[in-house]
Amino acid sequence: MRLLLVEDEIDIQKFLLSSLEEAGYQVEAASDGKTAERLAIDGQFDILVVDLGLPDQDGISLILKLRQLGVRAPVLILSARRSVDDRVLGLEQGGDDYLTKPFALAELLARLRNLLKRNSPPGAEATRLRVLDLELDLLRREATRSGQILQLTPQEFVLLEYLCRNAGRVVTRSMILDRVWGMRIQPDTNVVDVHIYRLRGKVDGKGQQPLIRTLRGVGYVLKDR
Amino acid sequence: MSSRIAKPVMHSAAWRISLWATLAFACGTMLVFVFLHRFVADDIQRRSDQWLSGEVEVLGDVAERTPKDALYGRVVGEVAELAGKEVPNRRLSDSSSNDSVFFLQTGDDGALKLWVGAGSGAPNLKAIRASRIVQDQPTDLRVPGFPVPFRVASMRIDDGSFIYLGLSERDELRVLRNLGLRFFFLWLLLVLLGFGIVFFTTRRMLSHVRQITEAASRIGHSDLHARVPTNRRNDEVSHLALTLNRMLDRIESSIHQLHTITDSLAHDLRSPLTAIRGKLETSLSAAEHGEQAEPIVSAIEELDRLTDFLNKSLDVAEAKADALRLNRVPVDLDELLRVMIDLYEPSMSEGGLQISLRSGGPLTIEADEALIHRMVANLFDNELKHLPAGCTVTIHLSNEDEAASLILEDDGPGFDAEVCPHLFERRVKGKESNGHGLGLAFVDAVARAHGGGVTAGNREEGGARIAVTLPMALRRNAGSPATAAQIGR
Repeated sequence: MRLLLVEDEIDIQKFLLSSLEEAGYQVEAASDGKTAERLAIDGQFDILVVDLGLPDQDGISLILKLRQLGVRAPVLILSARRSVDDRVLGLEQGGDDYLTKPFALAELLARLRNLLKRNSPPGAEATRLRVLDLELDLLRREATRSGQILQLTPQEFVLLEYLCRNAGRVVTRSMILDRVWGMRIQPDTNVVDVHIYRLRGKVDGKGQQPLIRTLRGVGYVLKDR
Repeated sequence: MSSRIAKPVMHSAAWRISLWATLAFACGTMLVFVFLHRFVADDIQRRSDQWLSGEVEVLGDVAERTPKDALYGRVVGEVAELAGKEVPNRRLSDSSSNDSVFFLQTGDDGALKLWVGAGSGAPNLKAIRASRIVQDQPTDLRVPGFPVPFRVASMRIDDGSFIYLGLSERDELRVLRNLGLRFFFLWLLLVLLGFGIVFFTTRRMLSHVRQITEAASRIGHSDLHARVPTNRRNDEVSHLALTLNRMLDRIESSIHQLHTITDSLAHDLRSPLTAIRGKLETSLSAAEHGEQAEPIVSAIEELDRLTDFLNKSLDVAEAKADALRLNRVPVDLDELLRVMIDLYEPSMSEGGLQISLRSGGPLTIEADEALIHRMVANLFDNELKHLPAGCTVTIHLSNEDEAASLILEDDGPGFDAEVCPHLFERRVKGKESNGHGLGLAFVDAVARAHGGGVTAGNREEGGARIAVTLPMALRRNAGSPATAAQIGR
């Protein structure tokens, strides 16, 4: 996967570059709009990460210009601005996504994966998810572990489904809040942890291998190995 | 709203101004007309007195010179009758029966000697005797049987007899009445015309003021780019419009400045925060399970709290300046609360708290969904952090007069007495609180940005009560249908 990173803050560019490369992307970085334009037209990128505050031009103008020039790759917008600009919302409706700074790396990676998946031709939607001995029937909304039916509330099922779809990858609290409850909030209490704790109580029974792992300061991961 | 539509034109300022102006105008013109009427009446009086004095002198002369024989009565009578036909202001139609003039002569004994006029003359004589008639000075005389008084001039003849010439004031009064009537109609016409002109001019002028008011109230709520309408005339109203527009320019530029400041502040703080967080995460993944992981984790958590604090502070700052930017969409509060209660319920029951919603069903308002989410999360976090186990939180959602009313009640210890008056100020928190004291200030900020408000206090039964009001929709053009209906356009 070829990724174009447009970010003028050298510190952020450096750590993003290394983290994204570690996550398996081939990254090229640009520090201003002009360089980004040149790179985007020359190279075939699968995805773009664009910071809104560039030294020579506005990130949104850059994206619109690239769209005019025929660059079709999805864009993840990084914004350090306070409010979400209407134009960003417009772009979001057009299939791109945005993330406000500061962000968790896991969230950045998740959003990139999402954008790429959205852009790839839709395959047949699976009706069953399977992670090790955990199995989810998406039609009947039923989860089983080693053949045993788990008594889950509808909300817990959605949460588990989200974890399963991201099995082996870190999901953060704000990602869970966004995807499962549909809200971008940052509670100063442990609301998400309690949900995970309850779910874990039902999924990881006595004597079974614990599947849901907490990564403190980062989020959660559903083990797939 | 309906009461405003029904508001009659009588309550408008134009009506009041016109009424007062017309009153002053009416009084003035009335005075002028009364003065004119007086002047004309005096003039008529003077002329008829002149005539009377002249005639009585002529008659006296005739009476004196005519020999007192059998023909005396006839001669003097003829002369008197002739004089009566020359009465000024006389109506021609009733020339046949002349009851407007009488001539009377009394002997030196006071008895009636000669009478020319309508009737027997006895009541006239009686009236003359009853009143004092000064010589050479016409005087008013009321005679029983005649509706209008007479003007009587008298003269003493050398033979000791008195002659009296009486002229009825009937014709004079008729002329004056006619004049008065004409003056009255003229006055009425002038007053009505004056009222009409004043009313329409003021209304026209004030309709500009109304347009300005409407435009200004629209601007206050929706966008700061719009300006009130101006016209090219150089009067007070256009000055008002220009002044308002200049003020709006200044407000817009300060708001813009505030946005620039908060944006650049946010940007300048967020960029290093992003870099720091990234580095911490990188080192965390390297440390993984080791002992070093713990301080890194807590540093990341502190950093996230700092970010949240930064966001809230800037939101509160912008909201205090009425500059919080909203992205309004239809939001069903009932649904939103149910989802949020679903999210918070496990944490609440872990803390031994109960939470319940009492709602009257779906309630959709025009609001910024993300801000409402954050506001409710703040309220719930507040309860979660401050309530001891065993308490109950009840949320009431209802539609109160075109506004959503969201009331949070608990049966906990309530707010500290010393904090109570300052609940919505930044950095105010209870002694036990470990938050950064922005919670309620943020709730207040969001409610105000939506045109609503928050009240908080302790319940009489104990526990805290926080009531948030959010208008259902932005009130655009508030009042304009009413005024349009009132003007009748």
